[in-house]
Amino acid sequence: MNTNSNVYTVIYTTVIVVVVAAVLAFVAMSLKPKQQANIKAETLSQMMAAAQLGEKDELSALGNDNVLRKYSENIDKAFTVNLKGEKVADLGTAYENIELIDNLKPQDKAIDAGGDATLPVYVFKSGVTVVPVYGAGLWGPVWGYVAFQGDNRTIAGAYFDHESETPGLGAKIKDEPWFRGKFIGKKALFGENGIFNLSKNAEAEGADNAVDAITGATMTSKGLNEAINTWLKAYEPYFTAASAPAEEVPAEEAATEKTEEE
Amino acid sequence: MANLKETILNPILKGNPITVLVLGICSSLAVTVQLKGACVMALSVIAVCGLSSLIVSLLRNTIPNRVRIIVQLVVVALMVILVDQFLKAYAYAVDKQLSVYIGLIITNCIVMGRIEAFALGNKPIPSLLDGLANGFGYGLILVVVAFFRELLGSGTLFGFQVLPDAYIPNNLVILPPFALILLGCIIWAHRAFDKELQEK
Repeated sequence: MNTNSNVYTVIYTTVIVVVVAAVLAFVAMSLKPKQQANIKAETLSQMMAAAQLGEKDELSALGNDNVLRKYSENIDKAFTVNLKGEKVADLGTAYENIELIDNLKPQDKAIDAGGDATLPVYVFKSGVTVVPVYGAGLWGPVWGYVAFQGDNRTIAGAYFDHESETPGLGAKIKDEPWFRGKFIGKKALFGENGIFNLSKNAEAEGADNAVDAITGATMTSKGLNEAINTWLKAYEPYFTAASAPAEEVPAEEAATEKTEEE
Repeated sequence: MANLKETILNPILKGNPITVLVLGICSSLAVTVQLKGACVMALSVIAVCGLSSLIVSLLRNTIPNRVRIIVQLVVVALMVILVDQFLKAYAYAVDKQLSVYIGLIITNCIVMGRIEAFALGNKPIPSLLDGLANGFGYGLILVVVAFFRELLGSGTLFGFQVLPDAYIPNNLVILPPFALILLGCIIWAHRAFDKELQEK
């Protein structure tokens, strides 16, 4: 057969591409549940690491199923709030139906645009509230989970992750337990300028909300600082309302707060 | 049989893709900071290189000459995406660490180079072996470089601390330029041992 004729070439390439596409579609479809379960368990174990329910590596080693179970045993309630601090919807917390907002990028955009972000809030039975932060590091996104104690100001724990920060430098935000350990006991100063301060020599000033940046990872630290401040600012109305003595009008309070800032 | 032996040994020693052909340098700089990542990367390249050589060799008499590069590319891309999908499902932590580099195996010159130079003109079994051996030759250098970089740069091996706390990890070792320096040293040592590789 003449393998160089035009007709043959066109038919050949068409067949190859269709076959390859079919194989890929089949594999992607059949592996998708497993992949999503991995992502979900990873997110949950990061949140639980922030909430001090265990070390991240130990939690991950439990296996996906046990991570889900541990989460649903320890979670009190989960819901989303908007930028005014009003509750939008409940998120499922039962073992069979754990709902998460694990794709934080669109929310980050919504915060920047001041639009209708739906920010997740996870309240654990220990009284700890976990919220995510997300921003741009040096090479790719950085994100994390910050856990607050019952007073909604004092940080109970934190966990940070990244997509492609430099190993040994920026990657320390995830790899070094001492770094996330430094956040414990610090405070987020809601209602003030500069909620949190992660920068060079920040601790020297002795402020409640300061953590030293990582040496050799200036850009990653800057990005993480920005992520923390942007997101905590977005949560500010919620936390202010939540820690105010139980009034029925958190929405209005939040609205006044907002005008004062502007 | 002697020929098959040559097919397997040549890519590992005399015709090593990295130290002699100087292919696949980019990824050997990028994924050699930690041994674990380097090992998974090496296994992935071995799988992609071997299997795509096998498939192209099976198809070799039917591929239209004018579009052969495109057909090869489709086959390699298929293999790479399959590997990536399986890692995401069964080795999620490592896949996260390697991030984009698994996908970039597509652009690894070794894979396309062996298909073009060997698989297109040889029977399936030798092609499979050639692909696997080239992947192995690549992986071997990757693991050697990663061994030194993780040891000197983090004081650990496979994540376990081996050097005492008194050792202060060298940050230069972690950055890509050091991988290039190390590769240079490996090529130097290789040539010093194998006189045939030295130019007159």
